[in-house]
Amino acid sequence: MDKLTDKYLRKRKIPSTACSGCGLGQAHKAMVVAIDELGFDFYDIIWGTSIGCAGRQTFATWKGDNFAGTHGRVYAIARGLRLAIPVEKKLVLTVGDGDAFGIGFNHLLHAARSNAQMTVLVCDNLGYQSTGGQYGWTTPAGVKTDSSPYGMFEPNWVQTEMDILNVLKAAGATFLARHVSMDGRPLVESCKKALQNNGFSLVHCVFPCITNFGKNALGSRNTVNMFNWIKNRAAPLGEEKEDTLWRTGIYHDAINTRPEFSQLMRDKVSEIQRRYQDEGSH
Amino acid sequence: MLAGCNAFAGYPITPATEIAEAMSVNLPRIGGYYMQAEDECAAMHLAIGASLGGMKAMTATSGPGFILYADPYGWAIGCEIPLVVLNSQRVGPVSGITGAPGQGEFYNVRYPTQGGNYETIVLAPNSAQEAMLMTVEAFYLSERFRTPVTILADQLITDGFEDISVPETDEEKKAMGMRFMERKAHPGPEFYPPTDEIDIPPVVLGVGTKALCSDWTPTEEGYDIETVEAQHKHSYRMIYKIRNHKDIISRHETLFLDDEPDIIVVAYGSASRTVKTAVKKAREKGQKIGMIRPISVWPFPDELFQYKAKYLSVELDYDGQMVREVQRAAPGDSEIHFFGKCGELPTVAELHETFDKLLSGEQLSRIGWEREAW
Repeated sequence: MDKLTDKYLRKRKIPSTACSGCGLGQAHKAMVVAIDELGFDFYDIIWGTSIGCAGRQTFATWKGDNFAGTHGRVYAIARGLRLAIPVEKKLVLTVGDGDAFGIGFNHLLHAARSNAQMTVLVCDNLGYQSTGGQYGWTTPAGVKTDSSPYGMFEPNWVQTEMDILNVLKAAGATFLARHVSMDGRPLVESCKKALQNNGFSLVHCVFPCITNFGKNALGSRNTVNMFNWIKNRAAPLGEEKEDTLWRTGIYHDAINTRPEFSQLMRDKVSEIQRRYQDEGSH
Repeated sequence: MLAGCNAFAGYPITPATEIAEAMSVNLPRIGGYYMQAEDECAAMHLAIGASLGGMKAMTATSGPGFILYADPYGWAIGCEIPLVVLNSQRVGPVSGITGAPGQGEFYNVRYPTQGGNYETIVLAPNSAQEAMLMTVEAFYLSERFRTPVTILADQLITDGFEDISVPETDEEKKAMGMRFMERKAHPGPEFYPPTDEIDIPPVVLGVGTKALCSDWTPTEEGYDIETVEAQHKHSYRMIYKIRNHKDIISRHETLFLDDEPDIIVVAYGSASRTVKTAVKKAREKGQKIGMIRPISVWPFPDELFQYKAKYLSVELDYDGQMVREVQRAAPGDSEIHFFGKCGELPTVAELHETFDKLLSGEQLSRIGWEREAW
């Protein structure tokens, strides 16, 4: 990581302010490795973040431009920004599960619909952990949190029959993948695919929260137990077991098959502008 | 568009829809973008995104949409992002009456977001012509102060039909008092200097400045920090960059204030139009009545209220909003009165009846809650 830190990150923010034992760094690193392997410079990428653990701990870590948006709205900001910045710049967003799948879900769907270029890495710590550990939209069934003291009994959005990635696929996303943070190489490969899509990509990555999820759900802040708890409940697509919660791998790969939002806007606007200028000159 | 606006984000809402429609027609013809959002919250965020990328952006709505701007408005204030926002007031609360003028947003535009620790700039035109001029001015001020500027209009201004005179040459623009400011990009690294100075370029992303902007309290470079000292410095800038340069923002119209008038009528926006007629006609009858029309309503022009007189605030609301500011700004022993009406303009006859009563020391005929507080 030291080599990558020198090349892409701000030393002032690395190590980050994440809790000891937090798995966010694995997801964060996977994205930076993917960026490096694709040969991008830090000027090529604008890094956006949101509210919550995922946003706060990754904001201003990137050596280039950074923005941290209001809770759930970074997808709308990104669409506006996409129109204004040079086409060759890439937008990467590190956001939380509450941000993407809760408060920001409407904006996320419209970002997918418009196929605006953004690589969204949803860093999922299975609930609202920066506020102390309340259940969220990906909290596994039966898990105790500060706001589900009798166990999570509401349906969540990672069940096979109602998978949020299916919703996003139907909404027009052109690249979708799911991983757990300890996936290593497959996670990096998905991030690389996502970055190569001139359109809307989302990588859902579950990572362990020791401080609150571990304490509430597992009754301990033992880092190794928490890491294993997630790892043992993840399996690659097609290799699921009965107790698999997270089926990992690429869910939808339609990269570069649909016009990108800002490209479509640019093309249409120049067409209209030409037509109007032609008419005006007669 | 005269001011260089090249991005507009909208969400349909009466009575501001026509602005979005007009922008969807005209912006692409000059190479600009009209974006329609999934809601008003997204609309202002889209506009902010475009502005962060270096474009001159605008959004327009009415009260029920303006409350959804609360979230992005605060972000734009904190990150100091230039932006123009139009709020065309209808009758509230909630959806209320959609196709009629109100002025219930007077305080809403002063406090458009949570948290305090900021000043806002709000311009309130009273005609289509002035709406054009004030929109150009709003873009100018938003760049110099690097903050969102709100145009406080109402249903009659955005839905009404009036001839306007559009300048074509630079001389004509200058003659109309139009001022312009190009977008510049802050070179960094101290993007958020804790000073009241203006004319500091805003953060622009994508131009290689290693920019930082966030919803958190920033250090001078833009890193997130949670210290009282940093928050104090940031707040100082949010407040005093505007308070200490109020002279650049202030504009108003006054009428017949030179002969110690008995009554000074205060009105802004559409309401001021019948007020002006009523005041002029009252003068013809020999009544000593003057008028103050704030055009820049925030920061509130306290300095205009130095005369000792009976003040009458005429507003398109029943609860009395601007009258509170008049009461605060006027000399301590002034009598303060309120005339409120909503959904339609006060008539000249109604205003004359009110003037007569105030001049003869009678109680205003409007009863109960409409006057008891004042």
